[in-house]
Amino acid sequence: MKKILFLLLFAMQLAYSKQLNVVTTYPYIADVVKIIGAEKVQVTALARGDYNPHIIIPKPSFIVKVRNADLLIINGAQLEIGWLPPILKQANNGNVQPGEKGFLDLSNFVQMIEIPASVSREYGDVHPEGNPHYYLNPANIIKIAHSITNKLCELDMVNEPFYRANLTSFVQNWDRKVAGWKETLSSIKCKKVIEYHKVFDYFLQAFDINLVGTLEPLPGIPPTTKHIGEIEKLIERERIHCLLQDVYNPHDASKYISKKLDLKMIILPHDVGAVKEADGIFQLFDEIVRRLTQ
Amino acid sequence: MKYIKICFILLIIYSVQLPAREANSENQAKNNSPFDQSKFVPDISFIADISYLSRDLSNDSYSALHIPGTYFPLGHINEDGHSHAGFNSLRGFNFNYGELSLYSIVDPYFDLFAIIHLVPEHAGLEEAYITTRKLPYGFQIKAGKFLSSFGRINEQHTHSWNFTDRPLISNLLFGDEGLNEIGGRITWVAPTNFYLMFGTEILTGDNEMSFGTASFSDPNRIIKVDEDEGPNLFIGYARSAFDIGETALLLGISYAHGSTKAEHDFSSTSGEGVAMKANSNIIGGDFTLKHSFDAVRYLSFQAEYLYRLMDGTYYTRDSMNAVNIHDLEKNQSGFYFQLIGKLGLQWRAGVRYDLINTNDAKIDGIKNSFPENLAKYSAMIEYNPTEFSRLRLQYNHDRSKYLEPNIYKPFSEIILQLNVTIGAHGAHSF
Repeated sequence: MKKILFLLLFAMQLAYSKQLNVVTTYPYIADVVKIIGAEKVQVTALARGDYNPHIIIPKPSFIVKVRNADLLIINGAQLEIGWLPPILKQANNGNVQPGEKGFLDLSNFVQMIEIPASVSREYGDVHPEGNPHYYLNPANIIKIAHSITNKLCELDMVNEPFYRANLTSFVQNWDRKVAGWKETLSSIKCKKVIEYHKVFDYFLQAFDINLVGTLEPLPGIPPTTKHIGEIEKLIERERIHCLLQDVYNPHDASKYISKKLDLKMIILPHDVGAVKEADGIFQLFDEIVRRLTQ
Repeated sequence: MKYIKICFILLIIYSVQLPAREANSENQAKNNSPFDQSKFVPDISFIADISYLSRDLSNDSYSALHIPGTYFPLGHINEDGHSHAGFNSLRGFNFNYGELSLYSIVDPYFDLFAIIHLVPEHAGLEEAYITTRKLPYGFQIKAGKFLSSFGRINEQHTHSWNFTDRPLISNLLFGDEGLNEIGGRITWVAPTNFYLMFGTEILTGDNEMSFGTASFSDPNRIIKVDEDEGPNLFIGYARSAFDIGETALLLGISYAHGSTKAEHDFSSTSGEGVAMKANSNIIGGDFTLKHSFDAVRYLSFQAEYLYRLMDGTYYTRDSMNAVNIHDLEKNQSGFYFQLIGKLGLQWRAGVRYDLINTNDAKIDGIKNSFPENLAKYSAMIEYNPTEFSRLRLQYNHDRSKYLEPNIYKPFSEIILQLNVTIGAHGAHSF
């Protein structure tokens, strides 16, 4: 009986702890929050980094995490549209609803690319706001770190100097790392690559690597025989450096093409936790760069 | 000369169009009207459900099928007599339904959600309710017409089911349209570190299979039962969930209490008639388990058990208009369980087992046993080209139905179902 009481107290304490309780949709956001907020915040990511960010199963355990959150930070640009809305609805937490102080949509602070001129589902799973995987451009990490810091300061004014100091040192470290990544990647600058799904577009653009095709005929539609035939012709015609594959989509088509045309296939992490080595935001970019230049 | 004329006309057309074009682009930049409200159009979606069916039973026989003893104790078919007007009722093509849904945030305080259910002959308001957006302390209020949160499958929308049809026990206790009522609901999510929620609903209580409020009397007005005014159905439910690694577990218990007043030809002066006035208590337990193998594939197991106890008075009127009064106690229970596997990005397959395991009625303390252990077996495979379209092939072997008078009639059917969604449709919950 005592044990149960203790457990219950522990449960309540977790829910009512003084730390700012931050919930993020994806692990990369959680890691940036951890760096800025450090011991002043408690942060949880809902989705796993190695799963398809578009189709996360909305587990009931997410509901209670959002229920107890002081702040909910999302990637936005409709990346969460297929799983977060019912969680938000069922969580009965008025403080983290869109438009409230405890809600932060990071896509509002970055410049999106690939914004479709017209939107129709004829073109597959298109996002009207543009390609939602914007955080893979390292410059955007700085922007979202700023907006996260501003939000933490707004909700927890007492610790503003602490958050601001952490941001300053983060930005310094990040800029230094970016310079290093740029130098390392200069060896494959302007080379042509193909990817499975349009995940790494922001990264490739940031480091001047040319994306010339995707294995998916349309976003979200698995490769068809006809489309693979076209990609094969493209590979034969152009000098393609490598084929980029994310961790969560099936690898069969990439493996097939890679073997048939003797093209290097590189599996890249797209989020913190997507592969073992990418266990933080710095490590995520480190690992992408390492794998690209291996 | 002719060419000059044409050139001249073209020039005029061009010169007229030129300023018009400029004005157009300017308008686009400024937006057409200062009172334009197009940005406030709610999320609108339309779902169409079409099927092709093959069954080893004629349409006439199928429409006369029933499960004995489910509503009136002596095995009359439903009050309205068309218990099978539901989906996939005909051999060949069926247009099961069109569903127009609307959703929008009303203001900072409310959301509004509405579903208009359309069949070729008529349109009906299936659901229309508000929910609160920012009540404190984990509370939320819902009010309007909505599917009750009793159990697991009842509040799920038809197009998000894993099979084309409702499980037997849900159909038997709540009818083809489920427990869909007018009233209010309060939910509370506990501030614990595991999911625990409680909900209570106060509803009108007018359900074709379990609850009714209507008044009735015999022609000589010896028996006079008044209409229930005001809410008649009270529901309480609790849910909890746990994650064990990559396995999510959801458990629920539900309880419903309401009065049941119904009659069948009781007020008329010719032939025989029956009526009843009872209290119905339904308890439900549900269990869902979903295990993810990777980013795409999962296996889910869902089971639900429902038990109904009806306790009250049963009236019979013979052809001479003499009325007899009996004590009535009815027990019905059943369950289903289903196993669904997502095999790839576009493929899912599953099996379901349905059973009505208890079905009896005590009239004046004497037990009338109706057929029990009535089973139904289903299997399905579906191909989802995208999340907006679904093609499903389902096989049912139904061993639960009887033809009047009490001829046992097992049958089989194969259904090819196409379900498509256009527009802005909200995501589904777990």
